[in-house]
Amino acid sequence: MAKNAAPARSHVLARRETFVSYMFLLPCLVFFVGFVIVPMFMCLFTSFFDYTMTDFNFIGFQNYVEIFQDETFLIALRNTVLIVVVSVPTVCIFSLWVASAIYNRKGAVTSFFRCVFYLPVVTGTVAVTVVWKWMFNQYYGLFNYVLSSTNVIDQNISWLGDKRFAIWCIIMILFTTSIGQPIVLYVSALGNVDTSLVEAAEVDGATSFQCFWKIKWPNIMPTTLYILVITTINSFQCFALIQLLTSGGPMNSTNTIMYYIYDTAFKTNQYGYANAMGIILAIIIAVFSALQFKVTGSSKKD
Amino acid sequence: MKNMKKFLALAMAACMTVGMAACGGNNTADTTGNTTGTNTNANTDTADEAGDAQEQESGGATEITLWTFPVGDWGGAYVDEVIAAFNESYPDVSVNVEYLDYTSGDDQLTAAIEAGTAPDILLAEPQRLVKFGKNGRMVALDDMFTDELKTDVGNESIIAACSDGTNYWMYPLSITAHFMAINYEAWESSGALEYVNQEGDRTWTTEDFQNALAKLKEAGLTSGVVYCGGQGGDQGTRALVTNLYSADFTNAEHTEWTINSENGIQGLTLLKDLCDQGLLSYDAGIQASDELQLFSNGTVQMSFCWNAANAKNYASSVTFTPYALPFPSDDGVPVLESGLYGFGIFDNGDAAKQQAARDFITFVCDDAEWGPKSVEATGFFPVRGSFEVYADSDDPNMEFYNAMLAYVGDNFTAMDGFTEQRAEWWTMLQYVFTGEKSVQEAADTYVSNSNAYTASYSE
Repeated sequence: MAKNAAPARSHVLARRETFVSYMFLLPCLVFFVGFVIVPMFMCLFTSFFDYTMTDFNFIGFQNYVEIFQDETFLIALRNTVLIVVVSVPTVCIFSLWVASAIYNRKGAVTSFFRCVFYLPVVTGTVAVTVVWKWMFNQYYGLFNYVLSSTNVIDQNISWLGDKRFAIWCIIMILFTTSIGQPIVLYVSALGNVDTSLVEAAEVDGATSFQCFWKIKWPNIMPTTLYILVITTINSFQCFALIQLLTSGGPMNSTNTIMYYIYDTAFKTNQYGYANAMGIILAIIIAVFSALQFKVTGSSKKD
Repeated sequence: MKNMKKFLALAMAACMTVGMAACGGNNTADTTGNTTGTNTNANTDTADEAGDAQEQESGGATEITLWTFPVGDWGGAYVDEVIAAFNESYPDVSVNVEYLDYTSGDDQLTAAIEAGTAPDILLAEPQRLVKFGKNGRMVALDDMFTDELKTDVGNESIIAACSDGTNYWMYPLSITAHFMAINYEAWESSGALEYVNQEGDRTWTTEDFQNALAKLKEAGLTSGVVYCGGQGGDQGTRALVTNLYSADFTNAEHTEWTINSENGIQGLTLLKDLCDQGLLSYDAGIQASDELQLFSNGTVQMSFCWNAANAKNYASSVTFTPYALPFPSDDGVPVLESGLYGFGIFDNGDAAKQQAARDFITFVCDDAEWGPKSVEATGFFPVRGSFEVYADSDDPNMEFYNAMLAYVGDNFTAMDGFTEQRAEWWTMLQYVFTGEKSVQEAADTYVSNSNAYTASYSE
């Protein structure tokens, strides 16, 4: 009798605790469902409609077919992929390099560098963008001033108005605003690597590179994976910089999928078409993320 | 103990839920507080004058919301005053105000409309109000367009701009002409001023313009920049291109865009040549607001995006005399674009609110005392001929700004596809000035794409 009572009470207790746990989760869950899950399904649903301010007609996959015949979308896709392909590895490598250089310094030094690199992250995007816009200004910008003062250029450059430079300016700004968090994460991850393993390897004659590649790198792989995924998503969703600096121009050279979605939805009120592009963007991000999981996962096994 | 833990846990969960709800409530309250702040002040002001009646109306039988785009100096203290004055006559109506900007205002509006939370009244231009009207989102104001109004306005173009040809969607308040301005002292010192007509309406020719640019270049000055960056100010570059060789921007029926006409191509070609010769410059990296900044700080010696409100806004920041001019044209007779502003009422399905909105609009636009004051608050000119404004103004330029209204041409901003056409316009300019496409090819592409957008509205 006593044997049966204990499990029964523990079962009741567990159920109650589960119930209480769910009660704690409930507020967040309500907001998550209301503001993420429901809109997601609405986005998918309306992507099959000719949905504008006046119309709401079912058109099947027509939006999806049109998207891949839309020259502007293909340019935006190319620009988006360029931003991702350039910025993600650059951010990861640079932040790993900086973190490796500072993680084992004295506390104050590490904190100083962490602050310096994290500053653009906590500074408002608009404020950062305004400063960059001033630096890129054709007439009185810092870059033109420095380059013309040192006779590197004889005529001022319209950095944001020339399609040869505009996308690279965006990538550069994105880079500076993206490295803060990875550096902090890498400093933390490197600090958590078991030093006895490194010391043992060093005693056995391992070089610094071997210590890093064989011991530290596998240990920080989960952090790397997280940084890769987050940076990839941020790069795919690059929007504010483009809206504030170039509006997708010149000649669509800085137009990205995110900006084109915004433009289509809010300027031309083609909500269904914009939602279809949103679904395609989500699929592309999912594929990229899955690839990253796959690659870094197999690397970890190795 | 267990019960206590459970109770605490549930209480915390309840607190979190309520807290979040309260946060939402606070947000709403903050927003309301913020947006209605002016109204609250207005009511306070009015309390001195209207006494207890004002207090009683704070419960507000009808509450309406006004959203307003930036129109000159309209806003702040003046809006408080006019709402207070309105409440003296309509104590049962409470007016909340929210100010939009041109960068994110359209996004806010679109989101609000789709979410069913559109304001009751919107102060904007025909391109927005008529578009929303045609999309079935607004209340037709046909009954407000009385013979008295039409006679007083006395300008068919203004009346037509408020309509889509079937219904009236905008009740007009004020109008301005868009023109250009030069740095008087810089032009004088360079000798360029000799090509400027300083008499009468200051009209001048395309040839004068070219000669003046040559003088500015000789003096080593950066004359002006044709801004080709996104959002806003497109009327400046449009008027520059069309006036150089008297091109039409649309056909008379407002069904097609026509800048690829012979005259349009001539205008674009001349501008490109001027840029290629270093007499002008272009920049796809700046917008109209940037160009105004460059003009006001003396970097460039002319602005293509000037009007009465800009003159007032930049008056304290310039160290030179901004001298307003109409755009140069081959025949010396400019055709200027206008900025027309007025109110529209969203169809939110509440007859009482719609009536309150009509009362408010009528008061702001037509009241013998507050109508002219409202026009002055915008910094522009009345659409009603009977209104006398700026009678006491000591600004000598007001007369010139007013005279420019005589050169205002056809208003095509309510044409189908106008918004989409604007994006195509910037892209076309970028192709023209970079030489990536021939002028004809770029203009043809612009016209073809824009016409397709326009045609799609009638499909």
